[in-house]
Amino acid sequence: MKNLINKLSKVYELSDVVYQRPNFTYATTTKENTISLITQLRDLEGFSHFVLLSCVDWIEDNLFQLTYILNNPTQKYDIAIRCMIDRNEAAMTSAHYLWEQIATYQRELKEMYGIEFPGSPRLNENFILEGWDNIPPMRRDFDTKKYSEETFFPRERPSSNDPATYMKSRLHPDEWDGKIAE
Amino acid sequence: MSLKDILLPFKAWANVAKEPVSLKNPMREGAPRYRGFHKNDIETCIGCGTCEAICENEAIVMVPVEGVAGVETKSGDSGLRPLIDYGRCCWCGLCVDICTTQSLTMSNEHTWVVTDPEELKFIPGVDKKTWDNNELGWKKPAPNYHFYGQERVSMGELHAEERGDSFIEFVKGYSKEQAQLEADRCVECGICTATCPAHMGIPEYIKAVRNNDMEEGLRVLYATNPLPEICGRICTHKCEDVCSVGQQGEALSIRWLKRYIADQIPSEKYHEILDTQNIYKGDKKIALIGAGPASLSAAYYLSLMGHNCTIYEKLEKAGGMMRYGIPSYRLPYDQIDKDINYIESLGVQFVYNTNVDAAKLMELNKTHDVVYIGTGLHLGRSTGIPGSDHEHVFQSIDLLRKITQGEEIMVPEKVVVIGGGNVAMDITRSMVRLQKAKYGKVHVLATSLESEDIMPADREEVVEAREEGAIIDPGWGPKSIEIVDEKIKGLHVYKCLSIFDENRRFSPKFDTEDKKFFEADMVIESIGQGMDISYLSEELKSKLTFDPRGRLTVNKNFQSSLPWLFVGGDMVQGPDVIHGIANGHKAAIGIDYYLNSKK
Repeated sequence: MKNLINKLSKVYELSDVVYQRPNFTYATTTKENTISLITQLRDLEGFSHFVLLSCVDWIEDNLFQLTYILNNPTQKYDIAIRCMIDRNEAAMTSAHYLWEQIATYQRELKEMYGIEFPGSPRLNENFILEGWDNIPPMRRDFDTKKYSEETFFPRERPSSNDPATYMKSRLHPDEWDGKIAE
Repeated sequence: MSLKDILLPFKAWANVAKEPVSLKNPMREGAPRYRGFHKNDIETCIGCGTCEAICENEAIVMVPVEGVAGVETKSGDSGLRPLIDYGRCCWCGLCVDICTTQSLTMSNEHTWVVTDPEELKFIPGVDKKTWDNNELGWKKPAPNYHFYGQERVSMGELHAEERGDSFIEFVKGYSKEQAQLEADRCVECGICTATCPAHMGIPEYIKAVRNNDMEEGLRVLYATNPLPEICGRICTHKCEDVCSVGQQGEALSIRWLKRYIADQIPSEKYHEILDTQNIYKGDKKIALIGAGPASLSAAYYLSLMGHNCTIYEKLEKAGGMMRYGIPSYRLPYDQIDKDINYIESLGVQFVYNTNVDAAKLMELNKTHDVVYIGTGLHLGRSTGIPGSDHEHVFQSIDLLRKITQGEEIMVPEKVVVIGGGNVAMDITRSMVRLQKAKYGKVHVLATSLESEDIMPADREEVVEAREEGAIIDPGWGPKSIEIVDEKIKGLHVYKCLSIFDENRRFSPKFDTEDKKFFEADMVIESIGQGMDISYLSEELKSKLTFDPRGRLTVNKNFQSSLPWLFVGGDMVQGPDVIHGIANGHKAAIGIDYYLNSKK
């Protein structure tokens, strides 16, 4: 795997290389290089199987992190290519022409994070949410609790006890609290 | 409508003969690390509530389960256990991952069918479930998988070699980075709060360290403890013994974090931070006898309530045992002064070199609204063994007082200390320093009735005494002091088999065949202290009540059976500084209540 990373490093700007397991490596490249890199991995390096595409919201950095995981079935190892994209105008080149099923992942990321993949088939159709009327729910600024309180039937929370207060009342029941008259 | 449309519905009937696609119950088993239904080993769980705190869905609440076998509210166990609502849980497993005792786990069971959703609330381990003995499922992956640091941030100390012959403070204190790193380990459960005699807001002041808000930290400290520099150094830290983080790792250095806060703030800023620039003073007068922690604490809180306090002290400075008992390598005098000077600055009067006898006590009663006595335990107890009346047999507290006052004491080449408490360790380590300075070598041996595992001294005191060259040989009962030609030769001891009888009464048993002889030129007794209440006249004594151990009995306001007389400190609880501070505070509230109700 190290040879492959060295080879790719000469062409693409790779960073944050993590040899996670003997058969699994992470590497990060630029948004612009990502699709070229995975195309090369597919066509020249034997990574013929697409595993998944996922996203992490780094809201503090105003970035989304996309991760494309590819598998090389003959060598039996995986590579995960990551890139960071701007969170405000979130858009990425579609890769549906490399593997048809990527369109489905892109449709999911559009619905859950609001990321655009121009040209990706059926991108704007509902994925699992029907009639969604809020900001994409996997964005970290989406307030899950507020949404559920406003949307769903309330389920009352049983009352709880603070360990410190409860212990004091049990272990020191006679303790003078300055309020109870003798 | 075509023929196809008419026939199509009937095609479905072809499926009647097929195997169903759905799975029969029992369905397939969850994966070995599946995050299924919860289990809790309720005897290991301490009810710290960390699972509740981390639960994003508010699916966990802490409920009392006393009465269930294996659970009771006691020091280090709240007696609460988590109740989980599966109408809210999302099985993320954070509760399992944070669990301080690793008692909470998840089984790989994942089917539970009910008709009433209210039934989906249960207390794992208490409400019996079919998955309770299920071995598979999610557990906190050990080792090295923790949400908080397992090890203490180490404290800088002078090496045993460097500190061995000096009374300079040897614990250096945390830097800001160290303190914040240590504070970051706290899970804010509050198990420590109920155990601390003063119920200090420990999680709150640790949070202040984490937020680098020293002013807030100081306010939290002074809410329950007006001697933070002192307690930050020498408190017996019962809080650390029960710290939930200590269940799987090292307990938080709560005492050092308290010291860190107080060390950061110069005394000039105390008035502004604690908002004590202008205190209202009323006309009530309180006399406090003995300037130890209990009187200081009572005077501090009484001053804030607007009362005029005067402390009468037999010696020339305030602090009691903190100044005249605890050696300066553990508690430097300037730190005692910092705490006491602040209390004095609130208008508390100190009258030094004044011995209160029976006549003086009655005079104070006439001139004050209330008299508070906190004279402590300052009479050493003797073993009474043959030879213990020799002039070179000393009481530890007498020697410690003399060392503090700068008086010369006898420092022979061989010393034996009898006792296994903190005072015994204080005199042992003090004698080590004096011997090293005088002879360049150490020959001090401390022995106690208690075996190593039940020695009352703090563990670090024993460890540090050994580091400094003292020999600690516990588990022996003193038999006699051998004297030849009027000189002490040493101490004969028997093996101690047990200390208390079946009724927990002091009744040591010895193996008289198993003997030892400890050579010594001087023997120091440190087996406990008694109180000196010679200032109570027979008439007063007849009006007061005492418990079977001879301690004055008080009500929960620390008021004696004479309404004008309040009592606190080691005379009624402890003995230790933090109990004195706590009961001084409670007595202050009690005195204030008494004075207001008298109007």
